[in-house]
Amino acid sequence: MRGIAKIALLAGLGLAAGLMPVLAQSRPDPMRMSAMPGAAPSPDDPMQALRTPDPGEGDGPAASEEFGGLPDAPGAEDTYYQCVACHSTEIIKQQRITDARWDDLWQWMVEEQGMYEPDAETKQVILTYLKTHFSSEL
Amino acid sequence: MSDQADREQNEGIKAVESGAGDTGATGTGTGTGTGTDPARRAFLRSTGASAFGAMLGMTIPFQRNLPAGLIPVALAQDTGQAMMAEKDGLIVLGDRPLNAETPAHLLDDDITPYEHMFIRMNGLVPQNALDSDASGWMLTIDGEVDNPLELSIDDLKSRFETVTRAMVLECGGNGRAFFNPGASGNQWTTGAVGCPEWTGVRLADVLAEAGVRDSAVYTAHYGNDVHLSGDPEKEVISRGVPIDKAMQEDALIAWAMNGADIPALHGFPLRLVIPGYPGSVSQKYLNRITIRDQEHDGAKMTGYSYRLPAYPVAPGTEVPESDMVVMTEMPVKSLVTFPRTGTEVATGEAAEIRGHAWAGNGDVAAMHVSTDFGQTWQEATLEPPPNRFAWQRWRAEVTLPEAGYYEVWARATDANGVSQPATTPGWNPRGYGNNMQHRIALIAV
Ligand code: HEC
Repeated sequence: MRGIAKIALLAGLGLAAGLMPVLAQSRPDPMRMSAMPGAAPSPDDPMQALRTPDPGEGDGPAASEEFGGLPDAPGAEDTYYQCVACHSTEIIKQQRITDARWDDLWQWMVEEQGMYEPDAETKQVILTYLKTHFSSEL
Repeated sequence: MSDQADREQNEGIKAVESGAGDTGATGTGTGTGTGTDPARRAFLRSTGASAFGAMLGMTIPFQRNLPAGLIPVALAQDTGQAMMAEKDGLIVLGDRPLNAETPAHLLDDDITPYEHMFIRMNGLVPQNALDSDASGWMLTIDGEVDNPLELSIDDLKSRFETVTRAMVLECGGNGRAFFNPGASGNQWTTGAVGCPEWTGVRLADVLAEAGVRDSAVYTAHYGNDVHLSGDPEKEVISRGVPIDKAMQEDALIAWAMNGADIPALHGFPLRLVIPGYPGSVSQKYLNRITIRDQEHDGAKMTGYSYRLPAYPVAPGTEVPESDMVVMTEMPVKSLVTFPRTGTEVATGEAAEIRGHAWAGNGDVAAMHVSTDFGQTWQEATLEPPPNRFAWQRWRAEVTLPEAGYYEVWARATDANGVSQPATTPGWNPRGYGNNMQHRIALIAV
Protein backbone atom coordinates (compact mmCIF):
# COMPACT_ATOMS: atom_id res chain seq x y z
CA MET A 1 0.00 0.00 0.00
CA ARG A 2 1.69 3.15 -1.14
CA GLY A 3 -1.10 5.07 0.51
CA ILE A 4 -0.27 8.58 -0.60
CA ALA A 5 0.69 7.68 -4.12
CA LYS A 6 -2.43 5.58 -4.53
CA ILE A 7 -4.77 8.33 -3.42
CA ALA A 8 -3.00 10.95 -5.50
CA LEU A 9 -3.23 8.76 -8.58
CA LEU A 10 -6.92 8.10 -8.16
CA ALA A 11 -7.68 11.72 -7.39
CA GLY A 12 -5.70 12.82 -10.42
CA LEU A 13 -7.73 10.56 -12.66
CA GLY A 14 -10.93 11.72 -11.03
CA LEU A 15 -11.81 8.19 -10.06
CA ALA A 16 -13.57 6.96 -6.97
CA ALA A 17 -11.79 4.72 -4.49
CA GLY A 18 -14.30 2.08 -5.53
CA LEU A 19 -12.16 1.40 -8.57
CA MET A 20 -9.47 -0.39 -6.58
CA PRO A 21 -10.97 -3.88 -6.83
CA VAL A 22 -11.34 -3.40 -10.57
CA LEU A 23 -7.64 -2.59 -10.87
CA ALA A 24 -6.79 -5.65 -8.87
CA GLN A 25 -8.92 -7.85 -11.09
CA SER A 26 -7.94 -6.32 -14.42
CA ARG A 27 -7.07 -8.75 -17.20
CA PRO A 28 -3.57 -10.12 -16.52
CA ASP A 29 -1.01 -9.12 -19.14
CA PRO A 30 2.59 -10.29 -18.83
CA MET A 31 3.72 -7.73 -21.43
CA ARG A 32 2.43 -4.90 -19.24
CA MET A 33 4.51 -6.36 -16.40
CA SER A 34 7.55 -6.25 -18.66
CA ALA A 35 6.85 -2.63 -19.57
CA MET A 36 6.78 -1.57 -15.94
CA PRO A 37 9.99 -0.04 -14.66
CA GLY A 38 12.15 -2.68 -13.00
CA ALA A 39 14.80 -2.19 -10.38
CA ALA A 40 17.54 0.32 -11.25
CA PRO A 41 19.74 -1.30 -13.91
CA SER A 42 23.48 -1.73 -13.48
CA PRO A 43 25.83 -1.92 -16.47
CA ASP A 44 28.06 -4.22 -14.40
CA ASP A 45 25.41 -6.81 -13.61
CA PRO A 46 22.43 -7.60 -15.84
CA MET A 47 20.72 -9.53 -13.01
CA GLN A 48 20.26 -6.23 -11.13
CA ALA A 49 17.58 -4.92 -13.52
CA LEU A 50 15.63 -8.17 -13.13
CA ARG A 51 15.16 -7.76 -9.39
CA THR A 52 11.80 -7.01 -7.82
CA PRO A 53 11.07 -3.34 -8.53
CA ASP A 54 10.69 -1.12 -5.50
CA PRO A 55 7.78 1.28 -6.03
CA GLY A 56 9.17 3.64 -3.40
CA GLU A 57 12.80 3.49 -4.50
CA GLY A 58 14.65 6.67 -3.63
CA ASP A 59 11.65 8.75 -2.58
CA GLY A 60 10.97 7.29 0.86
CA PRO A 61 11.80 8.77 4.26
CA ALA A 62 15.38 8.48 5.50
CA ALA A 63 16.46 5.45 7.51
CA SER A 64 16.09 5.92 11.25
CA GLU A 65 19.26 5.09 13.15
CA GLU A 66 17.27 4.78 16.32
CA PHE A 67 14.92 2.17 14.89
CA GLY A 68 17.21 -0.23 13.11
CA GLY A 69 17.27 1.63 9.82
CA LEU A 70 13.49 1.48 9.37
CA PRO A 71 12.19 4.47 7.34
CA ASP A 72 11.67 7.37 9.72
CA ALA A 73 7.90 7.81 9.54
CA PRO A 74 4.88 7.42 11.81
CA GLY A 75 4.74 3.82 13.03
CA ALA A 76 8.50 3.20 12.94
CA GLU A 77 8.85 3.14 16.70
CA ASP A 78 5.93 0.78 17.32
CA THR A 79 7.12 -1.49 14.53
CA TYR A 80 10.64 -1.57 15.87
CA TYR A 81 9.68 -2.55 19.40
CA GLN A 82 7.11 -5.06 18.23
CA CYS A 83 9.41 -6.81 15.79
CA VAL A 84 12.99 -6.88 17.07
CA ALA A 85 12.30 -9.26 19.94
CA CYS A 86 13.17 -12.13 17.63
CA HIS A 87 14.97 -10.84 14.56
CA SER A 88 16.69 -7.71 13.41
CA THR A 89 15.01 -5.23 11.09
CA GLU A 90 17.00 -6.60 8.12
CA ILE A 91 14.33 -9.19 7.37
CA ILE A 92 11.67 -6.45 7.33
CA LYS A 93 13.65 -4.01 5.17
CA GLN A 94 14.13 -6.66 2.47
CA GLN A 95 10.39 -7.05 1.80
CA ARG A 96 8.36 -5.63 -1.13
CA ILE A 97 5.11 -7.55 -0.87
CA THR A 98 1.35 -7.15 -1.20
CA ASP A 99 -0.93 -5.99 1.61
CA ALA A 100 -2.48 -9.45 1.75
CA ARG A 101 0.96 -11.00 2.29
CA TRP A 102 1.61 -8.62 5.20
CA ASP A 103 -1.70 -9.60 6.81
CA ASP A 104 -0.76 -13.25 6.42
CA LEU A 105 2.76 -12.77 7.79
CA TRP A 106 1.34 -11.00 10.84
CA GLN A 107 -0.90 -14.01 11.46
CA TRP A 108 2.06 -16.36 10.97
CA MET A 109 4.26 -14.40 13.36
CA VAL A 110 1.55 -14.60 16.05
CA GLU A 111 0.33 -18.16 15.54
CA GLU A 112 3.49 -20.01 14.54
CA GLN A 113 6.30 -17.92 16.01
CA GLY A 114 4.70 -16.79 19.24
CA MET A 115 4.65 -13.05 18.61
CA TYR A 116 2.80 -11.09 21.27
CA GLU A 117 -0.39 -9.60 19.80
CA PRO A 118 -0.64 -5.91 20.77
CA ASP A 119 -3.87 -3.94 21.11
CA ALA A 120 -5.88 -3.39 17.93
CA GLU A 121 -4.79 0.21 17.51
CA THR A 122 -1.07 -0.61 17.68
CA LYS A 123 -1.57 -3.49 15.29
CA GLN A 124 -3.26 -1.10 12.86
CA VAL A 125 -0.40 1.40 13.15
CA ILE A 126 2.25 -1.26 12.50
CA LEU A 127 0.46 -2.94 9.62
CA THR A 128 -0.20 0.41 7.96
CA TYR A 129 3.46 1.27 8.35
CA LEU A 130 4.59 -2.05 6.85
CA LYS A 131 2.12 -1.80 3.96
CA THR A 132 3.24 1.74 3.22
CA HIS A 133 7.01 1.33 3.31
CA PHE A 134 7.56 -2.31 2.34
CA SER A 135 5.03 -2.76 -0.40
CA SER A 136 5.01 -4.18 -3.90
CA GLU A 137 1.80 -2.32 -4.64
CA LEU A 138 1.77 0.94 -6.60
CA MET B 1 30.04 -6.44 18.74
CA SER B 2 31.89 -3.21 19.53
CA ASP B 3 33.28 -2.28 22.93
CA GLN B 4 30.91 0.62 22.95
CA ALA B 5 28.00 -1.75 22.51
CA ASP B 6 29.35 -4.05 25.21
CA ARG B 7 29.43 -1.18 27.60
CA GLU B 8 25.89 -0.17 26.82
CA GLN B 9 24.70 -3.69 27.35
CA ASN B 10 26.44 -4.06 30.65
CA GLU B 11 25.10 -0.76 31.85
CA GLY B 12 21.60 -1.77 30.92
CA ILE B 13 21.84 -5.00 32.81
CA LYS B 14 23.57 -3.45 35.78
CA ALA B 15 20.71 -1.01 36.04
CA VAL B 16 18.35 -3.94 36.42
CA GLU B 17 20.42 -5.40 39.21
CA SER B 18 20.37 -2.15 41.13
CA GLY B 19 16.64 -1.97 40.76
CA ALA B 20 16.75 1.33 38.92
CA GLY B 21 14.76 -0.04 36.05
CA ASP B 22 11.71 -0.68 38.10
CA THR B 23 11.49 2.90 39.22
CA GLY B 24 11.24 3.98 35.64
CA ALA B 25 14.51 5.86 35.69
CA THR B 26 16.07 6.40 32.32
CA GLY B 27 19.69 7.08 31.78
CA THR B 28 22.29 4.61 30.89
CA GLY B 29 23.60 7.76 29.35
CA THR B 30 23.70 6.29 25.89
CA GLY B 31 21.23 8.71 24.58
CA THR B 32 18.55 7.12 22.45
CA GLY B 33 15.99 6.59 25.19
CA THR B 34 12.91 8.75 25.45
CA GLY B 35 11.08 9.28 28.73
CA THR B 36 9.78 6.12 30.29
CA ASP B 37 6.04 6.07 30.61
CA PRO B 38 4.46 3.12 32.38
CA ALA B 39 2.53 2.02 29.31
CA ARG B 40 5.72 1.81 27.29
CA ARG B 41 7.43 -0.21 29.97
CA ALA B 42 4.54 -2.63 30.19
CA PHE B 43 4.60 -2.94 26.43
CA LEU B 44 8.30 -3.68 26.32
CA ARG B 45 8.00 -6.18 29.05
CA SER B 46 5.37 -8.13 27.24
CA THR B 47 7.13 -8.17 23.90
CA GLY B 48 10.83 -7.82 23.27
CA ALA B 49 12.01 -7.60 26.81
CA SER B 50 10.28 -10.81 27.75
CA ALA B 51 11.97 -12.71 24.98
CA PHE B 52 15.44 -11.47 25.84
CA GLY B 53 14.68 -11.67 29.51
CA ALA B 54 13.67 -15.31 29.22
CA MET B 55 17.20 -16.11 28.11
CA LEU B 56 18.94 -13.79 30.52
CA GLY B 57 16.75 -14.67 33.45
CA MET B 58 15.88 -11.02 34.02
CA THR B 59 14.03 -8.13 32.44
CA ILE B 60 15.84 -5.46 30.48
CA PRO B 61 14.22 -2.09 31.19
CA PHE B 62 16.66 -0.19 29.02
CA GLN B 63 16.21 -2.43 26.04
CA ARG B 64 14.95 0.56 24.10
CA ASN B 65 18.37 2.10 24.49
CA LEU B 66 20.03 -0.68 22.57
CA PRO B 67 21.37 0.56 19.28
CA ALA B 68 19.62 -0.63 16.17
CA GLY B 69 19.46 -4.37 15.69
CA LEU B 70 21.67 -4.99 18.69
CA ILE B 71 20.98 -7.75 21.13
CA PRO B 72 22.13 -8.39 24.69
CA VAL B 73 25.65 -9.75 25.12
CA ALA B 74 24.37 -12.99 26.51
CA LEU B 75 22.64 -13.72 23.22
CA ALA B 76 24.94 -12.04 20.73
CA GLN B 77 27.17 -14.98 19.89
CA ASP B 78 24.21 -17.23 19.22
CA THR B 79 23.52 -15.67 15.85
CA GLY B 80 26.87 -16.96 14.58
CA GLN B 81 27.81 -13.41 13.54
CA ALA B 82 31.30 -13.79 15.04
CA MET B 83 32.03 -16.56 12.54
CA MET B 84 31.46 -14.28 9.57
CA ALA B 85 35.14 -13.37 9.85
CA GLU B 86 35.91 -16.85 8.48
CA LYS B 87 33.76 -16.22 5.43
CA ASP B 88 35.02 -14.39 2.38
CA GLY B 89 33.07 -12.00 0.15
CA LEU B 90 29.58 -13.15 1.16
CA ILE B 91 26.69 -10.69 0.97
CA VAL B 92 24.88 -10.58 4.30
CA LEU B 93 21.09 -10.38 3.92
CA GLY B 94 20.36 -10.47 7.64
CA ASP B 95 22.32 -10.64 10.88
CA ARG B 96 19.66 -12.20 13.13
CA PRO B 97 18.97 -14.78 11.87
CA LEU B 98 22.26 -14.90 9.98
CA ASN B 99 21.74 -15.27 6.24
CA ALA B 100 24.37 -14.60 3.60
CA GLU B 101 24.81 -15.47 -0.06
CA THR B 102 27.82 -15.86 -2.35
CA PRO B 103 28.45 -13.77 -5.49
CA ALA B 104 28.60 -16.02 -8.58
CA HIS B 105 32.28 -15.40 -9.31
CA LEU B 106 33.21 -16.75 -5.85
CA LEU B 107 31.52 -20.06 -6.63
CA ASP B 108 33.99 -21.07 -9.35
CA ASP B 109 35.57 -23.95 -7.38
CA ASP B 110 34.39 -27.46 -8.20
CA ILE B 111 34.15 -28.11 -4.46
CA THR B 112 32.81 -25.08 -2.61
CA PRO B 113 35.18 -24.18 0.23
CA TYR B 114 33.82 -23.25 3.67
CA GLU B 115 34.57 -19.56 3.22
CA HIS B 116 32.34 -19.40 0.14
CA MET B 117 29.47 -21.57 1.35
CA PHE B 118 26.24 -19.59 1.78
CA ILE B 119 24.58 -19.37 5.20
CA ARG B 120 20.90 -20.00 5.83
CA MET B 121 20.08 -19.89 9.52
CA ASN B 122 16.43 -20.23 10.55
CA GLY B 123 17.26 -19.66 14.19
CA LEU B 124 20.30 -19.33 16.44
CA VAL B 125 23.41 -21.51 16.51
CA PRO B 126 23.29 -24.04 19.38
CA GLN B 127 25.87 -23.52 22.11
CA ASN B 128 27.45 -26.97 21.68
CA ALA B 129 28.04 -26.18 18.00
CA LEU B 130 29.68 -22.88 18.87
CA ASP B 131 31.88 -24.79 21.32
CA SER B 132 32.61 -27.60 18.80
CA ASP B 133 31.42 -29.96 21.50
CA ALA B 134 29.97 -33.22 20.17
CA SER B 135 30.36 -35.19 23.39
CA GLY B 136 27.35 -37.33 24.15
CA TRP B 137 25.66 -36.49 20.82
CA MET B 138 23.01 -39.08 20.00
CA LEU B 139 20.91 -39.58 16.90
CA THR B 140 17.52 -41.17 17.49
CA ILE B 141 15.68 -43.05 14.75
CA ASP B 142 12.10 -43.83 15.74
CA GLY B 143 8.49 -43.84 14.59
CA GLU B 144 7.33 -46.37 11.99
CA VAL B 145 10.35 -48.66 12.40
CA ASP B 146 10.77 -52.15 13.86
CA ASN B 147 14.03 -51.37 15.74
CA PRO B 148 14.25 -47.81 17.04
CA LEU B 149 17.93 -46.77 17.18
CA GLU B 150 20.00 -44.57 19.45
CA LEU B 151 23.29 -43.97 17.66
CA SER B 152 26.37 -42.10 18.79
CA ILE B 153 28.58 -40.56 16.12
CA ASP B 154 31.05 -43.41 16.75
CA ASP B 155 28.21 -45.91 16.17
CA LEU B 156 27.51 -44.26 12.83
CA LYS B 157 31.18 -44.40 11.88
CA SER B 158 31.70 -48.02 12.94
CA ARG B 159 28.42 -49.71 12.00
CA PHE B 160 27.80 -48.28 8.54
CA GLU B 161 29.83 -47.75 5.38
CA THR B 162 31.41 -44.29 5.24
CA VAL B 163 30.74 -42.42 2.00
CA THR B 164 32.16 -39.14 0.65
CA ARG B 165 30.28 -37.22 -2.04
CA ALA B 166 30.14 -33.76 -3.55
CA MET B 167 26.51 -32.68 -3.42
CA VAL B 168 24.74 -29.42 -4.16
CA LEU B 169 22.83 -27.74 -1.37
CA GLU B 170 20.56 -24.95 -2.55
CA CYS B 171 18.05 -22.91 -0.60
CA GLY B 172 14.51 -23.37 -1.95
CA GLY B 173 14.23 -19.58 -2.08
CA ASN B 174 17.38 -18.98 -4.12
CA GLY B 175 16.31 -16.49 -6.84
CA ARG B 176 13.44 -15.07 -4.78
CA ALA B 177 14.69 -11.51 -5.40
CA PHE B 178 13.53 -11.70 -9.02
CA PHE B 179 9.83 -12.37 -8.45
CA ASN B 180 7.40 -9.58 -9.23
CA PRO B 181 5.40 -8.73 -7.19
CA GLY B 182 7.89 -9.48 -4.46
CA ALA B 183 7.72 -12.67 -2.44
CA SER B 184 8.39 -12.63 1.29
CA GLY B 185 11.57 -13.92 2.86
CA ASN B 186 15.28 -13.35 2.40
CA GLN B 187 15.87 -11.76 -1.00
CA TRP B 188 18.35 -14.31 -2.33
CA THR B 189 19.61 -13.52 -5.84
CA THR B 190 21.74 -16.36 -7.24
CA GLY B 191 24.10 -17.24 -4.41
CA ALA B 192 22.20 -19.47 -1.96
CA VAL B 193 23.87 -22.52 -3.44
CA GLY B 194 27.10 -24.44 -3.06
CA CYS B 195 28.62 -27.86 -3.66
CA PRO B 196 30.89 -28.95 -0.81
CA GLU B 197 32.08 -32.50 -0.29
CA TRP B 198 30.17 -34.32 2.44
CA THR B 199 31.28 -37.36 4.44
CA GLY B 200 28.93 -39.56 6.39
CA VAL B 201 26.76 -42.64 6.08
CA ARG B 202 23.86 -43.32 3.76
CA LEU B 203 20.53 -42.34 5.28
CA ALA B 204 19.11 -45.42 3.51
CA ASP B 205 21.55 -47.77 5.31
CA VAL B 206 20.59 -46.39 8.72
CA LEU B 207 16.88 -46.55 7.95
CA ALA B 208 17.29 -50.12 6.69
CA GLU B 209 18.93 -51.08 9.99
CA ALA B 210 16.00 -49.55 11.85
CA GLY B 211 13.62 -51.61 9.71
CA VAL B 212 11.23 -49.17 8.08
CA ARG B 213 7.66 -50.51 8.26
CA ASP B 214 5.25 -50.68 5.33
CA SER B 215 3.23 -47.97 7.04
CA ALA B 216 6.08 -45.45 6.55
CA VAL B 217 5.14 -42.43 4.42
CA TYR B 218 7.36 -39.52 5.38
CA THR B 219 10.41 -38.58 7.43
CA ALA B 220 10.51 -35.88 10.12
CA HIS B 221 13.85 -34.27 10.98
CA TYR B 222 14.79 -32.56 14.23
CA GLY B 223 17.80 -30.58 15.40
CA ASN B 224 18.81 -28.60 18.48
CA ASP B 225 18.98 -25.10 16.98
CA VAL B 226 17.44 -22.35 19.09
CA HIS B 227 14.33 -20.36 18.14
CA LEU B 228 14.90 -16.67 17.41
CA SER B 229 12.78 -15.76 20.43
CA GLY B 230 15.13 -17.75 22.66
CA ASP B 231 12.12 -19.86 23.75
CA PRO B 232 13.56 -23.37 24.30
CA GLU B 233 10.11 -24.93 23.75
CA LYS B 234 9.72 -23.58 20.22
CA GLU B 235 10.71 -25.63 17.21
CA VAL B 236 12.89 -23.68 14.74
CA ILE B 237 12.44 -25.86 11.68
CA SER B 238 11.51 -29.51 11.26
CA ARG B 239 11.04 -30.72 7.72
CA GLY B 240 10.96 -34.10 6.02
CA VAL B 241 10.81 -35.96 2.72
CA PRO B 242 8.66 -38.75 1.26
CA ILE B 243 10.03 -42.12 2.42
CA ASP B 244 10.95 -43.12 -1.15
CA LYS B 245 13.23 -40.10 -1.43
CA ALA B 246 14.85 -40.92 1.92
CA MET B 247 15.49 -44.52 0.84
CA GLN B 248 17.36 -43.53 -2.33
CA GLU B 249 21.05 -44.11 -1.95
CA ASP B 250 22.15 -40.47 -2.42
CA ALA B 251 21.20 -38.92 0.90
CA LEU B 252 23.77 -38.83 3.71
CA ILE B 253 23.83 -38.34 7.45
CA ALA B 254 27.06 -36.32 7.40
CA TRP B 255 29.60 -35.38 10.07
CA ALA B 256 32.19 -33.78 7.79
CA MET B 257 32.22 -31.05 5.16
CA ASN B 258 35.30 -30.83 2.94
CA GLY B 259 37.15 -33.31 5.16
CA ALA B 260 36.71 -31.40 8.42
CA ASP B 261 34.02 -31.47 11.13
CA ILE B 262 30.91 -29.74 9.84
CA PRO B 263 31.32 -26.07 10.86
CA ALA B 264 28.96 -24.57 13.46
CA LEU B 265 27.14 -22.47 10.86
CA HIS B 266 26.47 -25.52 8.71
CA GLY B 267 25.14 -27.96 11.28
CA PHE B 268 27.82 -29.30 13.68
CA PRO B 269 28.08 -32.13 14.62
CA LEU B 270 25.60 -33.97 12.34
CA ARG B 271 23.37 -32.93 9.48
CA LEU B 272 21.37 -34.47 6.73
CA VAL B 273 22.31 -33.86 3.12
CA ILE B 274 19.35 -34.88 0.96
CA PRO B 275 20.23 -33.61 -2.50
CA GLY B 276 17.79 -32.39 -5.14
CA TYR B 277 15.25 -31.03 -2.67
CA PRO B 278 15.15 -27.55 -1.08
CA GLY B 279 18.09 -27.20 1.32
CA SER B 280 15.72 -26.98 4.27
CA VAL B 281 15.12 -30.77 4.23
CA SER B 282 18.85 -31.22 4.95
CA GLN B 283 18.37 -30.63 8.69
CA LYS B 284 21.33 -29.14 10.53
CA TYR B 285 22.26 -30.01 14.15
CA LEU B 286 20.47 -33.32 13.54
CA ASN B 287 19.50 -35.36 16.59
CA ARG B 288 16.33 -37.22 15.59
CA ILE B 289 14.65 -38.70 12.53
CA THR B 290 11.11 -39.90 13.10
CA ILE B 291 9.41 -42.01 10.45
CA ARG B 292 5.75 -41.06 10.06
CA ASP B 293 2.71 -42.70 8.53
CA GLN B 294 1.64 -39.39 6.99
CA GLU B 295 3.17 -36.21 5.59
CA HIS B 296 5.15 -34.33 8.23
CA ASP B 297 3.55 -31.27 9.84
CA GLY B 298 6.57 -29.81 11.68
CA ALA B 299 7.72 -26.18 11.69
CA LYS B 300 7.95 -24.84 8.12
CA MET B 301 6.18 -27.84 6.58
CA THR B 302 2.76 -26.17 6.69
CA GLY B 303 1.08 -22.95 5.52
CA TYR B 304 3.08 -21.24 2.79
CA SER B 305 6.51 -22.45 3.94
CA TYR B 306 8.36 -24.42 1.25
CA ARG B 307 5.06 -24.90 -0.55
CA LEU B 308 3.90 -24.04 -4.06
CA PRO B 309 0.39 -23.44 -5.41
CA ALA B 310 -1.17 -26.73 -6.58
CA TYR B 311 -2.01 -25.05 -9.91
CA PRO B 312 -0.43 -22.20 -11.94
CA VAL B 313 -1.41 -18.74 -10.71
CA ALA B 314 -1.05 -15.19 -12.02
CA PRO B 315 1.67 -13.15 -10.28
CA GLY B 316 0.41 -11.69 -7.01
CA THR B 317 -2.54 -14.08 -6.59
CA GLU B 318 -3.63 -14.79 -3.02
CA VAL B 319 -3.64 -18.58 -2.98
CA PRO B 320 -5.61 -20.21 -0.12
CA GLU B 321 -3.38 -22.21 2.24
CA SER B 322 -5.37 -25.34 1.47
CA ASP B 323 -4.21 -25.11 -2.17
CA MET B 324 -0.51 -25.05 -1.31
CA VAL B 325 1.47 -28.29 -1.74
CA VAL B 326 4.92 -29.23 -0.44
CA MET B 327 7.76 -28.39 -2.80
CA THR B 328 9.86 -31.43 -3.69
CA GLU B 329 12.40 -31.56 -6.54
CA MET B 330 14.37 -28.41 -7.30
CA PRO B 331 14.48 -27.37 -10.98
CA VAL B 332 17.47 -27.51 -13.34
CA LYS B 333 19.84 -24.58 -12.94
CA SER B 334 23.27 -23.16 -13.76
CA LEU B 335 25.63 -20.31 -12.94
CA VAL B 336 28.33 -18.44 -14.84
CA THR B 337 31.18 -18.41 -12.31
CA PHE B 338 33.92 -17.09 -14.62
CA PRO B 339 34.56 -14.38 -15.57
CA ARG B 340 33.06 -12.02 -13.03
CA THR B 341 30.17 -9.99 -14.41
CA GLY B 342 31.27 -6.68 -15.96
CA THR B 343 34.66 -8.02 -17.12
CA GLU B 344 36.37 -6.59 -20.23
CA VAL B 345 37.41 -9.02 -22.96
CA ALA B 346 39.30 -8.50 -26.22
CA THR B 347 37.10 -7.90 -29.29
CA GLY B 348 37.33 -10.66 -31.90
CA GLU B 349 39.25 -13.06 -29.67
CA ALA B 350 37.96 -16.23 -28.02
CA ALA B 351 37.27 -15.78 -24.31
CA GLU B 352 36.63 -18.64 -21.90
CA ILE B 353 33.32 -18.66 -20.04
CA ARG B 354 32.65 -21.34 -17.45
CA GLY B 355 30.42 -22.32 -14.57
CA HIS B 356 28.40 -25.13 -13.03
CA ALA B 357 25.08 -26.78 -13.80
CA TRP B 358 22.91 -29.00 -11.59
CA ALA B 359 19.39 -30.41 -11.40
CA GLY B 360 17.05 -31.59 -8.65
CA ASN B 361 16.28 -34.76 -10.57
CA GLY B 362 19.86 -35.94 -11.04
CA ASP B 363 22.25 -35.04 -13.78
CA VAL B 364 22.24 -32.25 -16.34
CA ALA B 365 22.09 -33.34 -19.99
CA ALA B 366 23.19 -30.21 -21.89
CA MET B 367 24.45 -26.67 -21.44
CA HIS B 368 24.14 -23.71 -23.81
CA VAL B 369 25.23 -20.07 -23.76
CA SER B 370 24.04 -17.04 -25.73
CA THR B 371 25.80 -13.70 -26.24
CA ASP B 372 22.90 -12.10 -28.14
CA PHE B 373 20.13 -12.00 -25.53
CA GLY B 374 18.96 -15.51 -26.29
CA GLN B 375 18.52 -15.15 -30.06
CA THR B 376 21.14 -17.80 -30.86
CA TRP B 377 22.68 -20.41 -28.58
CA GLN B 378 25.95 -22.28 -28.72
CA GLU B 379 26.52 -25.57 -26.94
CA ALA B 380 29.01 -25.61 -24.09
CA THR B 381 31.08 -28.64 -23.10
CA LEU B 382 29.64 -30.29 -20.03
CA GLU B 383 31.68 -32.56 -17.79
CA PRO B 384 30.06 -35.54 -16.08
CA PRO B 385 29.59 -35.11 -12.31
CA PRO B 386 31.94 -36.96 -9.91
CA ASN B 387 28.74 -38.46 -8.45
CA ARG B 388 25.00 -37.92 -8.81
CA PHE B 389 23.79 -34.53 -7.52
CA ALA B 390 27.25 -32.90 -7.67
CA TRP B 391 27.27 -29.86 -9.88
CA GLN B 392 28.81 -30.28 -13.30
CA ARG B 393 31.51 -28.08 -14.80
CA TRP B 394 30.67 -26.47 -18.13
CA ARG B 395 32.92 -24.40 -20.41
CA ALA B 396 32.44 -22.41 -23.59
CA GLU B 397 34.50 -20.07 -25.71
CA VAL B 398 32.77 -16.97 -26.96
CA THR B 399 34.05 -14.45 -29.49
CA LEU B 400 32.48 -11.01 -29.36
CA PRO B 401 32.45 -9.55 -32.89
CA GLU B 402 32.69 -5.80 -32.21
CA ALA B 403 33.42 -3.52 -29.29
CA GLY B 404 30.53 -2.88 -26.93
CA TYR B 405 28.20 -4.32 -24.29
CA TYR B 406 27.24 -7.99 -24.32
CA GLU B 407 25.44 -10.29 -21.97
CA VAL B 408 26.20 -13.97 -21.55
CA TRP B 409 23.05 -15.95 -20.80
CA ALA B 410 23.49 -19.51 -19.54
CA ARG B 411 20.93 -22.29 -19.95
CA ALA B 412 21.09 -25.84 -18.60
CA THR B 413 18.83 -28.68 -19.76
CA ASP B 414 18.00 -31.67 -17.56
CA ALA B 415 17.73 -35.33 -18.54
CA ASN B 416 14.03 -34.88 -19.37
CA GLY B 417 14.77 -32.11 -21.89
CA VAL B 418 13.52 -29.39 -19.54
CA SER B 419 15.54 -26.15 -19.75
CA GLN B 420 15.91 -23.01 -17.68
CA PRO B 421 13.52 -20.20 -18.65
CA ALA B 422 14.74 -16.70 -19.61
CA THR B 423 12.43 -15.14 -17.04
CA THR B 424 10.99 -16.10 -13.66
CA PRO B 425 8.84 -19.22 -13.85
CA GLY B 426 5.66 -19.80 -11.81
CA TRP B 427 5.15 -16.93 -9.38
CA ASN B 428 4.34 -18.21 -5.88
CA PRO B 429 3.65 -16.41 -2.59
CA ARG B 430 6.97 -17.27 -0.92
CA GLY B 431 9.14 -17.12 -4.02
CA TYR B 432 10.51 -20.65 -4.36
CA GLY B 433 12.05 -22.51 -7.28
CA ASN B 434 13.22 -19.64 -9.47
CA ASN B 435 15.59 -21.21 -11.99
CA MET B 436 15.73 -18.38 -14.52
CA GLN B 437 18.87 -18.18 -16.64
CA HIS B 438 21.86 -16.47 -15.06
CA ARG B 439 23.27 -13.54 -17.03
CA ILE B 440 26.59 -11.73 -16.77
CA ALA B 441 27.82 -8.62 -18.60
CA LEU B 442 30.93 -8.71 -20.82
CA ILE B 443 32.45 -5.58 -22.29
CA ALA B 444 34.33 -6.14 -25.57
CA VAL B 445 37.18 -3.64 -25.94
C1 HEC C 1 8.18 -14.13 18.45
C2 HEC C 1 9.24 -13.97 17.50
C3 HEC C 1 8.97 -13.02 16.33
C4 HEC C 1 8.50 -11.72 16.37
C5 HEC C 1 8.15 -10.88 17.58
C6 HEC C 1 8.45 -11.28 15.00
N1 HEC C 1 8.90 -12.26 14.17
FE1 HEC C 1 9.11 -12.11 12.17
N2 HEC C 1 9.86 -13.99 12.11
C7 HEC C 1 10.06 -14.82 13.18
C8 HEC C 1 10.67 -16.05 12.75
C9 HEC C 1 11.07 -17.22 13.62
C10 HEC C 1 10.85 -15.93 11.35
C11 HEC C 1 11.48 -16.94 10.39
C12 HEC C 1 12.92 -16.54 10.19
C13 HEC C 1 13.58 -17.23 9.06
O1 HEC C 1 13.01 -18.14 8.46
O2 HEC C 1 14.72 -16.85 8.74
C14 HEC C 1 10.33 -14.63 10.99
C15 HEC C 1 10.32 -14.15 9.69
C16 HEC C 1 9.87 -12.90 9.30
C17 HEC C 1 9.82 -12.45 7.94
C18 HEC C 1 10.22 -13.26 6.70
C19 HEC C 1 9.02 -14.05 6.30
C20 HEC C 1 9.27 -15.06 5.22
O3 HEC C 1 8.42 -15.17 4.33
O4 HEC C 1 10.30 -15.76 5.27
C21 HEC C 1 9.31 -11.18 7.97
C22 HEC C 1 9.05 -10.29 6.78
C23 HEC C 1 9.04 -10.86 9.35
N3 HEC C 1 9.41 -11.93 10.15
C24 HEC C 1 8.51 -9.67 9.78
C25 HEC C 1 8.20 -9.41 11.11
C26 HEC C 1 7.57 -8.19 11.55
C27 HEC C 1 7.18 -7.06 10.63
C28 HEC C 1 7.43 -8.30 12.88
C29 HEC C 1 6.76 -7.29 13.81
C30 HEC C 1 5.41 -6.96 13.46
C31 HEC C 1 7.96 -9.58 13.30
N4 HEC C 1 8.41 -10.23 12.19
C32 HEC C 1 7.99 -10.03 14.62
C33 HEC C 1 9.74 -14.53 14.49
C34 HEC C 1 9.22 -13.34 14.94
